[in-house]
Amino acid sequence: MSGSVASAFRKSRLLFLIPLLSLFLAGCGVNSIPTYEEQAKAKWSDVLNQYQRRNDLIPNLVETVKGFAQQERTVLQAVTEARAQATAIQVNASTITDPEAFKKFQATQGQLSGALGRLLAVSENYPDLKSNQNFLSLQSQLEGTENRIAVARRDYIEAVRLYNTELTTFPGRIWASLLYSGKKPMEEFTVEDSAKRLPQVKF
Amino acid sequence: MTGPMARQVILTALAWICLTCASAAQTLVYPALTGRVVDGAGLLDATDRAVLTGSLANLEAKTTDQLVIVTLKSLQGTSIEDYGYQLGRFWKIGQKDKDSGALLIVAPTEHKVRIEVGYGLEGTLTDALTKIIIEQTILPKFKEGDFPGGIKNGAAEIIKVLGGDAEPLNGQVAPNTASGAKESNTGLPEWLVIVLGLVGVGVLIFCAVHGGVLCHGLFQILVLMLLFGRGGSSRGNSSFSGGGGSFGGGGSSGSW
Repeated sequence: MSGSVASAFRKSRLLFLIPLLSLFLAGCGVNSIPTYEEQAKAKWSDVLNQYQRRNDLIPNLVETVKGFAQQERTVLQAVTEARAQATAIQVNASTITDPEAFKKFQATQGQLSGALGRLLAVSENYPDLKSNQNFLSLQSQLEGTENRIAVARRDYIEAVRLYNTELTTFPGRIWASLLYSGKKPMEEFTVEDSAKRLPQVKF
Repeated sequence: MTGPMARQVILTALAWICLTCASAAQTLVYPALTGRVVDGAGLLDATDRAVLTGSLANLEAKTTDQLVIVTLKSLQGTSIEDYGYQLGRFWKIGQKDKDSGALLIVAPTEHKVRIEVGYGLEGTLTDALTKIIIEQTILPKFKEGDFPGGIKNGAAEIIKVLGGDAEPLNGQVAPNTASGAKESNTGLPEWLVIVLGLVGVGVLIFCAVHGGVLCHGLFQILVLMLLFGRGGSSRGNSSFSGGGGSFGGGGSSGSW
């Protein structure tokens, strides 16, 4: 009689323990690595979207500038070539765990930023171009897109920092070795050379 | 008896640490969202604030879009683009599922103005449109030193674009809406949170020492409350708060 009471008590304790244990595990971050990984991947696709948006704006911008400043052939050509190079690279979700591919992506986009900056700088010399409605609209869109790229990159860096930290610190490190052994740290953007400065747009 | 007791105390403490280890570091300081018009730089008088608040409330009633006007004493050393989207995210302006928020930010010290556009409004309030509003409506007034005029005209233009009714701004309507400076303290007061927290810790320690079915139940409820209680804040009817929208750097800036 007393035995069955004791076993019933033990069972009820077990029933209580299981949800508590799962809460405890969740509180200690057993799900953190996949969660952070998904978040970082989503942020990466935001970054790609914004760069794509910039790519889409460029042909129109080049055409508009050409209409007013035919003689700036070298600058225009540099932008077109940089854009072609940037779009030629295969970029996907695996790029972020591949240091080489990531560096290449960053370098080509940086080159494009530099070329665009020079294009906008020479545009300053053409009053007709500067007051052209189409150009002004494109310029503000480009400005907005550069800002969105900056925000998306910042969000991505923050998400990657969380993910990489979780992979390498306690208690995530334990979960990584136990459950997620294939996970690699992701690459971050670096801002080392001046070519990556955002083009300064002045009105 | 001391063995299991000590173990329980340690386990409880561990659980507590695990549950509360989330913390966020912030470098920029943001003003409190005291209403639809947050006049940190003191550019507007009470009437202007009331009129603007009224038409911004109308806009939300009509389109559910949230537009907030904010003037800042300082950008704290960063750019207005950098400050703007983070402020919008901090305040969560715009409806949650639509990210339909926008900010009109004026930083008179740095001579900067910006229209910050939430993700969901980027299609209507485009970069080009915000640029036009800033260049043609706001900046001419600002250059004359007429900040209230620039802000009101700019807000009217934004409201027009968003499909709201800009009437109250142009006419001299005296609205009965409460002043914009009203505190929007919808959450619990700080001391109450601390007291509740202390009571929670006390109950946990008591339970760890004494045990008992009632205590186990209490403990479970406490844990559940902690897990699900986060982020759930009550929304008062009269005061204004962000709807949960987010920002991604859309909009444009100008300077004078």
